[in-house]
Amino acid sequence: MLDTRYRVEIPGGINLEAQVVGPVPRFFAFAIDLGIRGIIIFVLSLLSIPLGSGGMGGGFFLIFLFVIEWLYPVLFEVFSRGQTPGKKLLKISVIKDDLSPVTLGASMVRNLLRTVDFLPLFYLVGLVTMLSNQRFQRLGDLAAGTLVISVPESAKPAAMQEIMPLAPSTSLLRPEQTSIIEFLQRSNQLSEPRQQELASILEGITHEKGDNGVEQLRRIGAWFLGVR
Amino acid sequence: MNLDKLQVNACLRSGWQAIDLGFLMARAWWRQIYIASLLPLLPLTLVLLLVFSQSPLWSLLFIWWLKPFWERLPLYIASRMLFDEEPGTWSNMKSLPLKDILPWLLWRRFSVQRAFDNPVTVLEELKGTARRERLRILHGRYTDVALGNQLVCFCFELLVAFGLVVMLDFFTPDTLGIRLYDSFGDLTLSGEWIFTLAGIAAITLVMPFHTMAGFALYLNRRIELEAWDIEISFRNLANRKQRATSHRAGMVSAIVFAGLMTLTMPAAVDAAVEHDHESSRQLIESVLQGQDFGEERTVRKWRFKGWSEADDETIPEWVIDFLEWLELFKDWAEVLSNIAAWVKVLLVLAFAGLLFYLFRRYRGPLSRLGRRQPEKTAPEVLFGLDVTPESLPPDVPARVMALWAEAGYREALSLLYRASLSRLIDKYELAFRASHTEAECAALVRAHGIDSLSEYFWQLTNAWRRLAYGHQLPESETIKGLCDGWTAELSDESQ
Repeated sequence: MLDTRYRVEIPGGINLEAQVVGPVPRFFAFAIDLGIRGIIIFVLSLLSIPLGSGGMGGGFFLIFLFVIEWLYPVLFEVFSRGQTPGKKLLKISVIKDDLSPVTLGASMVRNLLRTVDFLPLFYLVGLVTMLSNQRFQRLGDLAAGTLVISVPESAKPAAMQEIMPLAPSTSLLRPEQTSIIEFLQRSNQLSEPRQQELASILEGITHEKGDNGVEQLRRIGAWFLGVR
Repeated sequence: MNLDKLQVNACLRSGWQAIDLGFLMARAWWRQIYIASLLPLLPLTLVLLLVFSQSPLWSLLFIWWLKPFWERLPLYIASRMLFDEEPGTWSNMKSLPLKDILPWLLWRRFSVQRAFDNPVTVLEELKGTARRERLRILHGRYTDVALGNQLVCFCFELLVAFGLVVMLDFFTPDTLGIRLYDSFGDLTLSGEWIFTLAGIAAITLVMPFHTMAGFALYLNRRIELEAWDIEISFRNLANRKQRATSHRAGMVSAIVFAGLMTLTMPAAVDAAVEHDHESSRQLIESVLQGQDFGEERTVRKWRFKGWSEADDETIPEWVIDFLEWLELFKDWAEVLSNIAAWVKVLLVLAFAGLLFYLFRRYRGPLSRLGRRQPEKTAPEVLFGLDVTPESLPPDVPARVMALWAEAGYREALSLLYRASLSRLIDKYELAFRASHTEAECAALVRAHGIDSLSEYFWQLTNAWRRLAYGHQLPESETIKGLCDGWTAELSDESQ
């Protein structure tokens, strides 16, 4: 079964899940960060002009250039929940492969190895290594034991219509309950015939056909949502 | 379309996540996809390269332009792989690349969401108005993501093409004499060939990812619009219920059968699964031998090799360094003769002095910095008694005696008691809390360490408790003694 989901079982038998992020969103995040770094460097170069182009100014400029080029991603990843500004905009973040927050060491390693990923031209090695494993880890990620995941958005509660709840006639497992709730919440996106088709699968539970079956399922969904 | 055989996990994804899924699909089915794309592409490329052998960049342009034509077979194959089906008949595939191809090669060649729209033509086989209507429903909020896919994959093509050229440049020795540019800065023929081949390689390599990402977007939209995930979950649920019913029926017949057996052969029942002490121990041990319990793992890590071999006899390196550093100070006097050095020393001394002053000045606040501030919130009411200083009369003992004389016994003793509590909070800063009982307050006073005070407060507490809860009036002499004690221990004049 193909899926972008990444799962870690922690002691105690609890499964943690995350969605790994591939090259396309990461490309955009990188491009945004590149732009921000470019602006900072431009402003710094303007500021260093009054200090003299040869000695002092040039020296300061080079030091800042070094710091920004090498530490910009590290600082943001360590102190801003694994997110550089570009990653924040794309709602993705860097995390260790046991899904704990990224540490200074790991971030350092993954960003120092950018030089290798950059070879031979603009991240070709990075792209190839990213596509050569299922978790989209580039070389730096593999060395540091990190991966890039998408930050889960907190789900907005759907607006509830006035609906009479109905207790199901039989016991249902949790994923089954969730799918009936989904049916209720997404039914305005589904066409009438499709709703009836879906409801007809569960005739054994609703004991109703057609429109009545749909109505019954929606009422059961409302029950699972806690409407009484 | 048999959703039971769907090879991807159907769930609602954002547009970007759908693109990632598409990349995973391209990864998983790369063999079939590359075969399907190279089948029409390879002969075409050979012919074009032969025709344009003197200016091969033209063949690159043609191959790039004809992308919609040879992207179709991979898409079709992927749609079969998605449901774990056979690729289908050759005749079906043969007609595929030419279906409605003209608009795709002319004005739709510039569509920025080609990969997303492709399945509607190739798989749903819609044309004209029907196609437009269908696309209007499908596009939804995914147009910008589809555009992003197109853009990034184009960048990837450029990056792979130029990366290959640069890599070739890295690894070919100069003596070979291959030059990409002539002395006028124009491409040489060998340069053109290299760029063309690199470009064709890049287009071929990136195409599956681009096409599959678009396909996954289309798929994601259909999962959303047709609730595939809900259908799969509902089907599983219905199956489970059905299985449970048939299982129950089977159980019933088995029990009936066993009952019949018991009637006929009672001895057979005793052979049920039952372990004695020895055999259960063996069973437990065999379970413990299993992989779940007895896993051995080899862990490799780096360790400093010369750690234990450190030689204690030699003088450590840093001591030598330190001594050498001290040597530098031999010609101090010479240095100090310089005025600038004097100024420097003065500045350093002034700075040190400033630091010392600041440290002295803020020593108090600094030392208090890390410590937790004690809670200053004294309670205003203890066991229903108002213990604020404002509520007390100026001369407490006199007021107490007056109340006692008027037979207001409870008022008198309660005034004395709450006056004591109030004083203890104010004067001795005892940390009473509203949750403390009378006895706990007395214990806190004892912990404060003044014996006479704690002795007095204990007497007072007992007298108050007897009166308040036990309704036992103390003697008038006791009250007199307590008032005197109050003056001695707790009034403003005391100690």
